[in-house]
Amino acid sequence: MDVRAQLVMVFNLDKCIGCHTCSISCKNIWTDRKGAEYMWWNNVETKPGVGYPKKWENQDIFKGGWLRDGGKLKLRAMGKGPTLFNMFFQPNMPKLDDYYEPFDFDYSNLYKAPPGSDQPVAEAFSQVSGERIEKITGGPNWDDDLSGSQVYAVEDSNLEDRTLVADYGRMFMHYLPRICNHCLNPACVASCPSRAIYKRGEDGVVLVDQEVCKGWRFCTSACPYKKVYFNWQSGKAEKCIFCFPRTETGQCNACAHSCVGRIRHVGVLLYDADRVEEALLKPDDQLVAAHRDVILDPHDPEVREAARKNGVTDQWLEAAEKSPVYALVKEFAVALPLHPEFRTMPMAYYIPSLSPVISSGGDLYELSDHGTFPLLEKMRAPISFLASILSGGNQEIIAEILRKQIALRLFKRAGNLGQPIEESILKNAGLDEAGANRLYRLFTIAPYRERNVIPTQQREEQDSYQRKGASGYGILKKTRGPK
Amino acid sequence: MLNSFIFIVLPYTALALIIFVTPYRFFSNRLTWSAYSTQFLERKTLFWGINPWHYGIIPVLAAHVLGVVAPGPMKALLGNQNNLIVIESFGFALGLFAVFGCLVLLLRRVNTPILKRVTFASDWVVLYLLLAQALTGVYVASFMRWGSQWYLYTAVPYLWSLLTFNPQIEYMVDFPLVFKLHAAGAFLIVALLPFTKLVHLLYVPFDFLKDPPILYRWRSR
Repeated sequence: MDVRAQLVMVFNLDKCIGCHTCSISCKNIWTDRKGAEYMWWNNVETKPGVGYPKKWENQDIFKGGWLRDGGKLKLRAMGKGPTLFNMFFQPNMPKLDDYYEPFDFDYSNLYKAPPGSDQPVAEAFSQVSGERIEKITGGPNWDDDLSGSQVYAVEDSNLEDRTLVADYGRMFMHYLPRICNHCLNPACVASCPSRAIYKRGEDGVVLVDQEVCKGWRFCTSACPYKKVYFNWQSGKAEKCIFCFPRTETGQCNACAHSCVGRIRHVGVLLYDADRVEEALLKPDDQLVAAHRDVILDPHDPEVREAARKNGVTDQWLEAAEKSPVYALVKEFAVALPLHPEFRTMPMAYYIPSLSPVISSGGDLYELSDHGTFPLLEKMRAPISFLASILSGGNQEIIAEILRKQIALRLFKRAGNLGQPIEESILKNAGLDEAGANRLYRLFTIAPYRERNVIPTQQREEQDSYQRKGASGYGILKKTRGPK
Repeated sequence: MLNSFIFIVLPYTALALIIFVTPYRFFSNRLTWSAYSTQFLERKTLFWGINPWHYGIIPVLAAHVLGVVAPGPMKALLGNQNNLIVIESFGFALGLFAVFGCLVLLLRRVNTPILKRVTFASDWVVLYLLLAQALTGVYVASFMRWGSQWYLYTAVPYLWSLLTFNPQIEYMVDFPLVFKLHAAGAFLIVALLPFTKLVHLLYVPFDFLKDPPILYRWRSR
């Protein structure tokens, strides 16, 4: 048993309102720089939709993630030998158009324009070439809220029935906020010929060493989530750093901190590094179970002993015990990994959203026997769709979680209305009263320190000289070109 | 005068620059140590430029270096006329391939507006210099035949004499101007290497071939 600690984020999709506040706070702190304008380390997508970059989920295009090859895992794109021969031109790399050409507006024209018969306007220009853009044709959330669904949403590879997009009566959507998953088996790390990308042993954060990166670009396509970006100015790769300067001091990540819906939870998971590969060799529909299996119980004395041997401090063990993430991912088993079938073992987990609960229109939905919610099979968002995104196609896992969410709501509804509580509803969903109350608290009124339990790094353990050099991106030294 | 400039001043300047500037750049600001790929912004033309260039120039460059490092075995290999003809033909073809690639890369920089912001003076200097070097190389290969052979008996001993600080330029002075330009170009490239994106060729990634796929860094270990 090789017990390691990992900082993990859980997203409650049921509460995400798609306001993009997380994206903006992330952009303001980390990517408001030349060469990084197009990067959104945190972005929010509308599902169904093609996402950002367009069609990132389609691995036939970008060849990201891992494949099972006999009893081993191998990178989908290429092995080490071919890597050497594809360094000059990387065949699977996403291009600028797959994201969008970043633009700004020339506001000076508003007061500099010569007198004329028309109102002056602030014209759009490209932040890459500086040239004027006649017509903006893309953005980081171009298909937000299903806009252009006939062009974009219809291309969502998770949709079983694509005619659904055209049928207003059956249409649905939910949001999907995405950051780097800081995977346990990161394909970006494995693909880097310079060995510039590494996983931090202490908290599992995956980082690109800007001094070592030579810009070979294999990581940008190897990451199946397209969360490693190429900075066209500095010629190096960049990615979400899990706000490590904040988490090291016990502060919450900027995206999670600013989330107005309070959908995010940050906490510690303990896992067994020895069993990761074995777990990833399971078939697609068993991967969620395999994920849960690798995650260890922080209360187990044996686990704690092994963790201590590996240098996990008492403070981190205590945080692991209180971890809201452990409760949601393992204890209540309501949070699922994003596309586990990419086999990177992502460490960001999602609580699937429950479809609209109002059953207006009568015959549109068949209500379940308790009369408040539509039947699971008649949910507006098809279970197959959620399963394709969050459970490697295993629909039973999604149904289990939706049943829990429905039971929880019925339970609290009855409580609020002073009605008798049917024990069987909770029991059938695998919950008990105490558990339901805990889950309710986590989902709703849990304050900052309960939603986020982040232990600090032990400063005295760090080599101060090394620490001096790790101050973020291009702050002390200049990259190429004028500022 | 010209001879001592090309064959004494230039090589020693180049040697001094690459020995002293390279570590300075490495230790002072490694944030600029990149191949500065532009594939992200433009990839269609790049494919036809970057692949011919690299696949053409790497074997040719390797052959030049091999001649200096192991002149004995190379002499033995090229003493056989059949070997000489085959190697010379391959070298010539690869040279043309490299020239084609370099031309495509140059024209691409000229004709692609989106690359304007990532093209600096050093990029132009490198492109023109490499094109000129490849062109003089191809000229030497076609009009001064069997260069792979006579290179071993002229330029190689001269290069060794440079390294032992006893420059014997008499090996080189009687060559035609084109060949002298080819030599001068080579020294110039070495001299400019630590200042430009050419530093990327000082780093060839082989470590990762033997490493396990996932790399961890521990602060405490």
